[in-house]
This record gives sequence, C-alpha cells and structure tokens, in this order.
Amino acid sequence: MNLIQEISLFAEPVARIGKYAVTNSMLASWVAAIIIIIFSLSLRFKLKEIPRGMQNLFEMLVEGAFSLIDQVTGDRKLSEKVFPIALPLFLFILLNNWIGLMPLGWVGQVEHTGKGFLFVPYLRGGSADVNTTIALAVMSVLAANLFGVLSIGIWKVFNKYVNIKVLSSIPGRIKKDLTVVIVAPITFFVGLIEIIGEIAKMVSLAFRLFGNIFAGEVLLYSMAALIPYIVPVPFLFLELLMTSIQALIFAMLVVVYFTISASEHGHEDETDVRKEQEEIKEVLSAKA
Amino acid sequence: MDSIISTFHIEWKTLLTQAINFSLVLLVLYIFALKPVSKLMKERTAKIEKGIADAAENRKLLEQSKKKYEEQLAKARREANVILLEMKKEVEKKKADMLADAKKEVNRILENGRKTLENEKTKMVGEAKKEVATLAIKITEKLLMEEVGPSFQEKAVEEVNKL
Repeated sequence: MNLIQEISLFAEPVARIGKYAVTNSMLASWVAAIIIIIFSLSLRFKLKEIPRGMQNLFEMLVEGAFSLIDQVTGDRKLSEKVFPIALPLFLFILLNNWIGLMPLGWVGQVEHTGKGFLFVPYLRGGSADVNTTIALAVMSVLAANLFGVLSIGIWKVFNKYVNIKVLSSIPGRIKKDLTVVIVAPITFFVGLIEIIGEIAKMVSLAFRLFGNIFAGEVLLYSMAALIPYIVPVPFLFLELLMTSIQALIFAMLVVVYFTISASEHGHEDETDVRKEQEEIKEVLSAKA
Repeated sequence: MDSIISTFHIEWKTLLTQAINFSLVLLVLYIFALKPVSKLMKERTAKIEKGIADAAENRKLLEQSKKKYEEQLAKARREANVILLEMKKEVEKKKADMLADAKKEVNRILENGRKTLENEKTKMVGEAKKEVATLAIKITEKLLMEEVGPSFQEKAVEEVNKL
C-alpha cells in the first residue's frame, strides 16, 4: 500500500453532515470551544471568594491580561471594555494552536486518492486553516469599528473613512488660506485609503496567524519525517512558545485596533491639515 | 482573488461556522467566567481597600481616644488634687473652729462654775456668819444670862455682818 503523507495548505474534510464538509481544523476548533465552555462552566459553579486551584490560575491570567491591556490603552475603563474580547481571543487561538501540536494530530484516517492512499489527521490546528483566521480577523476588525461607533459616535467614525467634514470646510477656509483647495482633497483621499487600511488589517491579522502556525506545523512535520522521535522534541517546545506568542500578538493587535477606534480623530485631522498648510506655505515661500 | 480562494479553500460556510464557534466561546466565557471572576475580583479589591481604610481610621480613632482618655485622666487628677486641698483646708478650718468653740465652752463652763462657786461661797459665808452671829448671841445670852431685845439682836447681826 502506497501511503502518502503530505502537508496540505488547507484543512481536509474528515466527515460530512449532509452536504456540509467538516474539516479537521474545524474539529480542532470545536474541541477548543468545548474545552473552554467546560472550563468556564466548572469555574462558574466552583467560584469562591478565596480562590483555589483553577480559579487562582484564571485570576492570575485575568490580572496579567489587564496589566498588558492597560499598557496599550493607558486607561483602565477602556481596558475593561476591550478585555472581554481580547482574553477569549487569546485563549481560543492558543488552544487551537496547541491542539495542532498535540500527538493526536497523528491520529487520522486513510483516504484513497488517484495517487495512492492519503493520510488525513483528525485534528489540525484551528489556526492552521485560513478560514478560521479570516473569520477571527474579520470579526475583530468589524468589532473594533463597532466599538469606535459606540465610543465616539457614528459621524466621527464615518468621517474617518469618508471625510466629508474636511471637504465641507473648503468654502469657509478658502478666503483665509488658498492651500486648503489642495490639502482638503488629499485628506479626503487619505480617509478613503483608511478603508483599504482596514481591509489590510484583516488580511495581515489572518495571514500572519495562519502563516506562522502553518509554518510551525510544516517544520514539525518535516523534522519528524527526517529524524523521528528525539529531534522534533526541541522544535515542539519551540512551537509551544511560538504559538503562544502568536496568540498574544493577535490579541494585542486587536486591543490596539480597539484603542485606535475609541480615540477621536477629528481634532487631530484638523491639526494635521493646519500643519500641512503651514508646511506648504513655507515651501512655496522658500521657492519664491 | 479566485486563485487565493481556491488555493486556500476559503469557503463562506466554514468562515461562518468558525465565526459562530468563536462567538459561542466568547459568549460562554464572558457570561460564565470573565464577568463573575472580574466582579469577584473587584469586590475583593474593594473589600481589602475598605479593610485597610477602616484599619487606618480605627487606628486614628484609637489614638484620639487614648489621647482624650489621658487628657481626661490628667484633668481628673488635677481636679481631685484641688478638691483634696480644699477639703484639707476646710477640715483644718473646721478643726480650728471646733477647738475654738470647745475652748469657749470650757471657759464658759469654768466661768459659770466660778460664779456659782462664788455665789455659793458668798451664800455660805453669809449663812456661816449668820450662824456664827446667832451662836454668838446665844452664847452671849447664855453667858450673860439675860435676855436681849430684838433690836439688840438685829444690831448685833449687822455688827457681825460688817466683820
């Protein structure tokens, strides 16, 4: 029997529910979700004023998360609002990543293909499937914008992308300063670029996580294929660390996006416009 | 774009499933773990802060009470000393008064006694004189063996009284 073991760029289906294909990454995500749900429920029903065991550990995690988020936001009230998104993101990604590293990944099924028999593992790291990372990234960026709307208002968030405020200020300013005719449209287009920036955020979040986790799995797979048993062990520890860092990076970036969304841009934009106008004036006078 | 989608097998169904999966995790973790734990931690922090503040307040109150108690004790001691001194003075005065009264009474009694004695003495002397005169008369009568008239007797008594 010719057994093929190859690393696939995408998650492979391991089961079917009607027409819907359940992939091994999705299975890993469900396992992660079930672990978190069981942990949450057991924590809730064993919650005591004097913490012990798991509660102690979780409280330490909460404290640590708060201190990290505080460093980014610089405001405890804002941290308290971002925290319920950031910590679940971190835990979910971390568990997804770790499930991919577990030896259970070597348990799977054999499928018959045209080339031969293909080994398909039952569990593949949830973050090693771009569908998971895209879903998380899109949700995070959309949530950040929604958070911005709730924090500073829909008008300010709208003007961040479609800067009508700057365009409408041209007739008022044109008598005082002629350069506003050039600067205001530039500011308007900068706002439009922000929309692309938001898409870039989603793409970078999704593909950074996917790339790192997938690369880690490829590394482990290659090492195990080259020299099995002993050699992959240090790489396994390295991957444990790396996957934790990736989960932390994702969560911290989301915190940064939330913080940026909650900060007002209107005043800064006006100041920037004035600064740009002054700079243009200086350049023109120097040329003259 | 299509090549990316086909290379990475990006499917909207899987995306949606993963989004729902994470939303569920987020919801459960928030309701059953993050919210109660955060609340508990906040309450505990508030309790500890209150405990520390109360302890500081109690220490302050204790110090104030101690100070007040010591002040009152010192005041009471001062007052007690003053009262004691006043009492001593009063007692001394009363003692002196009583002594003076007693002396006066003694003097009065002595004086009365002396007067009574004087009167008794005078009376006794008078009576004795009378008796002596009567006896002298009687003796004289007997000696002379003659009766003397009342005018002579009265004269004789006066003469004796003059003695």
